[in-house]
Amino acid sequence: MQPEPNGFSIYVSDLTRRLQKDHTVNHFQLREMSISHCTGCWACWWKTPGICAIKDDMDRIFATIMASEFLIFASPIMRGFTSSLLKRMTDRLVTLLHPYIILNNGECHHRKRYERYPDFGLLLEKEHDTDNEDIEIIRDIYDRFALNFHCKQRIVWLTDLHKTNEIAYDTNNI
Amino acid sequence: MTLTIFNGSPRKHKSNSTLLTEHFLEGFHSVQERENVRVCYLAETRMLQENLETFKQSEYVIVIFPLYTDCMPGLVKEFFELLPVKDSLATLKLGFVVQSGFPESNHSIYVERYLKKLAQRLNCSYLGTVIKGGVEGIRSMPSSMNKKVFERFYQLGVHFAENGEFSGEIMEKMKNPVKFNSMGLIIFRFLKLAGLVDYYWKTNLKKNGAYHKRNNKPYSNKINRQL
Repeated sequence: MQPEPNGFSIYVSDLTRRLQKDHTVNHFQLREMSISHCTGCWACWWKTPGICAIKDDMDRIFATIMASEFLIFASPIMRGFTSSLLKRMTDRLVTLLHPYIILNNGECHHRKRYERYPDFGLLLEKEHDTDNEDIEIIRDIYDRFALNFHCKQRIVWLTDLHKTNEIAYDTNNI
Repeated sequence: MTLTIFNGSPRKHKSNSTLLTEHFLEGFHSVQERENVRVCYLAETRMLQENLETFKQSEYVIVIFPLYTDCMPGLVKEFFELLPVKDSLATLKLGFVVQSGFPESNHSIYVERYLKKLAQRLNCSYLGTVIKGGVEGIRSMPSSMNKKVFERFYQLGVHFAENGEFSGEIMEKMKNPVKFNSMGLIIFRFLKLAGLVDYYWKTNLKKNGAYHKRNNKPYSNKINRQL
């Protein structure tokens, strides 16, 4: 999910082909899609509940996410975190939540809008200076994301440690 | 001291980040000259190159943003990805302010770890991260209700202008509560029962004639649809 096709994109495409043997897979190349930044307008919470005011390719992603059993967020690490492209997409996912606040784990979180939200795995490609602390920071932030989205982060894969057939195997066993 | 504040809110001038910045700067300007300060909006994408140049040339930088899905908004991350590395920022002193709608600061301490590491990665001096929860809706609240938070941002600005750093004491105060204690949980449950926790959302839903649609699930009927 970087600006130009590269080793990471090829890796993700190969993973998609492997997963397609056992699953229906929707593969979104975010860089090829029209996805605007969330503007914080709250239309999705108080004007047209559940529907984002921005009309772009997110509509396909919202529908696909809610129809999926499992998600994989795939991104190269850039400046110590997942890409801004992926972040731009995940920022928009607040549309799938309800504005009302509940206590979850003794903390305030937004209520569910839907009955269930799919669990997810995170697939990362290290950058030249990535260390274990970076991976822990990313994993912990996505665990928080999971808490807010009423789902679980099931696994973190790294392209230099995991082959695509291993990721397909793990996914089949989740 | 020359200070640049980068506002990372997608709401730009009409943001809670702007409001908090104004109170910070009021305090700052009670000590330092106005011409030493610049405020830039990261959501002004046409200003991107100028913002990057300003960042590089600044002595002190504060990046303020709202917590978006447990981290910085995508547009702030986009800016971080374009900043230079190596030694060009070695003299820069970099701090952050993270504000969120949730009342507890626990939501923001995870991104704080990232921001500290980012400053290290950019080879800047890290000034710390101010965390303030309970900010959503403050623009629509009477100013008397926000007196304490505005006063703290004012004092934070005074201290920053005098010392070139965030006041640890004020940061600690603003961080509270990190999580609700047992009394906080009791109060929350009481307010929830009284319908006050969601008052802000309910009021706006009603104002927009959308209250009856509040539980809509527009994507639930698309289950199993092939896309």
